[in-house]
Amino acid sequence: MPTDNRSRTSGSALALILDAAGGQFLRLLALLWEGLSHKIGRIGEVILLLLRILKRLPWFFMNPSLTLEQFIRIGVSSLPLIIVISFFIGAVSAVQAEYQFRGFVPSNYLGTAVCKLVIIESGPVLTALVLAGRVGSAIAAQIGTMKEKEELDAMTVLDLDPLRYLALPRLLAGIFVFPLLVIISDFLSIVGGWIITTLVLKVTTATYVFGLRFLFQPYDVLTSMIKAMVFGGIVVLMGYYHGLNAGPGAKGVGQASMKSVVASCMLILIVDFLIVYIAY
Amino acid sequence: MNNDHLIELRHLQKSFGPQKVLRDVVLEIRKGETMVIIGTSGGGKSVILKHCIGLLQPDDGEVVVDGKVISSKNKIDVKTIRKRMGMLFQGAALFDSMNVGENIKFAVREHEKQHSEADLDRIVAETLHMINLNPDFRFKMPSELSGGMKKRLGLARAIALKPEILLYDEPTTGLDPITSDVINDLIIDMQVKLGATNIVVTHDMVSAYKIADRIAMLLDGRIIFVGTPEETRATSNPYVQQFINGQRKLLAEAD
Repeated sequence: MPTDNRSRTSGSALALILDAAGGQFLRLLALLWEGLSHKIGRIGEVILLLLRILKRLPWFFMNPSLTLEQFIRIGVSSLPLIIVISFFIGAVSAVQAEYQFRGFVPSNYLGTAVCKLVIIESGPVLTALVLAGRVGSAIAAQIGTMKEKEELDAMTVLDLDPLRYLALPRLLAGIFVFPLLVIISDFLSIVGGWIITTLVLKVTTATYVFGLRFLFQPYDVLTSMIKAMVFGGIVVLMGYYHGLNAGPGAKGVGQASMKSVVASCMLILIVDFLIVYIAY
Repeated sequence: MNNDHLIELRHLQKSFGPQKVLRDVVLEIRKGETMVIIGTSGGGKSVILKHCIGLLQPDDGEVVVDGKVISSKNKIDVKTIRKRMGMLFQGAALFDSMNVGENIKFAVREHEKQHSEADLDRIVAETLHMINLNPDFRFKMPSELSGGMKKRLGLARAIALKPEILLYDEPTTGLDPITSDVINDLIIDMQVKLGATNIVVTHDMVSAYKIADRIAMLLDGRIIFVGTPEETRATSNPYVQQFINGQRKLLAEAD
């Protein structure tokens, strides 16, 4: 019958469309799974790298000068950048707080806002984000270039374990220098906030200091330091990992630097949330 | 095992992803000889060297030194490898952040703790002398050196720990013929002065004929020929002839 034929035809067309759609859907699922398993594999690699570096921790005592050298290199070289950004973070915080408070909150609390914002969040997070670009990318580029030029292989052949001589000193330096940089950043941000508050917003120093001390919690400083240490580890680890996995040539090294910054920034914000969630 | 053989590569196999680079490499290297491995670019010659020195682990097969398995699918005896072998890398791989003296001293200082700084300076001077260079070179940075000079200093760094087996990855690639000859003489010198067993990977036939005691040819992941330089020149193996004469096609195909 013609009607039956028509319905059979439309039915088979529908089946074909569903088949095609199902095929595309399965293909999409397969692609997603592939991407996901690749990412999981990379996370596994990073954890393994971290464990391999930590296994070499006793070597720190054999040659602490290597770590000290990195400590100075990372710390001193980052200082000018930290000074500039911290001052303006404080200044912006003060201006923003004054604008948001206008008509609702007395200016006594400007110092409180700057202090809380700087110590709890902007100090460790913005410092770490900036250092991800300054320190992490430099580590990725250096390790990537050393890999490209077979210097890492040369070290291995000479029994100079790259994890011991390159990775461990950088990781320890990152973990311990970041809190120092964050303390400097916090101090300069508060100074930046003070200068803007007193000179531009015409609030007295005594009022600003009252605000700073009001609601100040040493626990906030502790969590800020813990964050800084974890972020320091993340930045160095991402730099080293992406340097080790750099592709060939200038393009490969450039991409490794870029990936290390992107991965560090993402991890810093995710881990920041986790620490805040646990700590408060 | 023949007692004469210091190193044996037993049925080495290695793949990178789907690409099978070494299919079944079998090669014996005698103590004190210079074995030159020739083959086309990208054919896996450097991969063989990296297996010998433990930078790569075989998928199957073994690397044996003095009858002891130092590298197989399941293990790498890093200690033996590092103690007995040194390597000159294709690009010399000098540590860019250190001057020449530090490049040479670095490994010696870390492994032979008994040396004072004065001893280390003396070792640097002796090593530079061995490669016919003035001790003043120790203050130069790698970026100030030419390609040939970098190779010589890469060799200096490799011999500072007095290894008995020296591996050379394309030692004359990218050098002019005269500088290449300087490197060739140094490789021969190492055999004479240090009594080193040399394994050299190259596609430079002038160099191969000059330095080799024996030449092995790698093709399609297998060693297809081993012989002295004279035997290599005289062989009727069409693949070896094609390679040493630099012909695009096999003689049989060309006819």
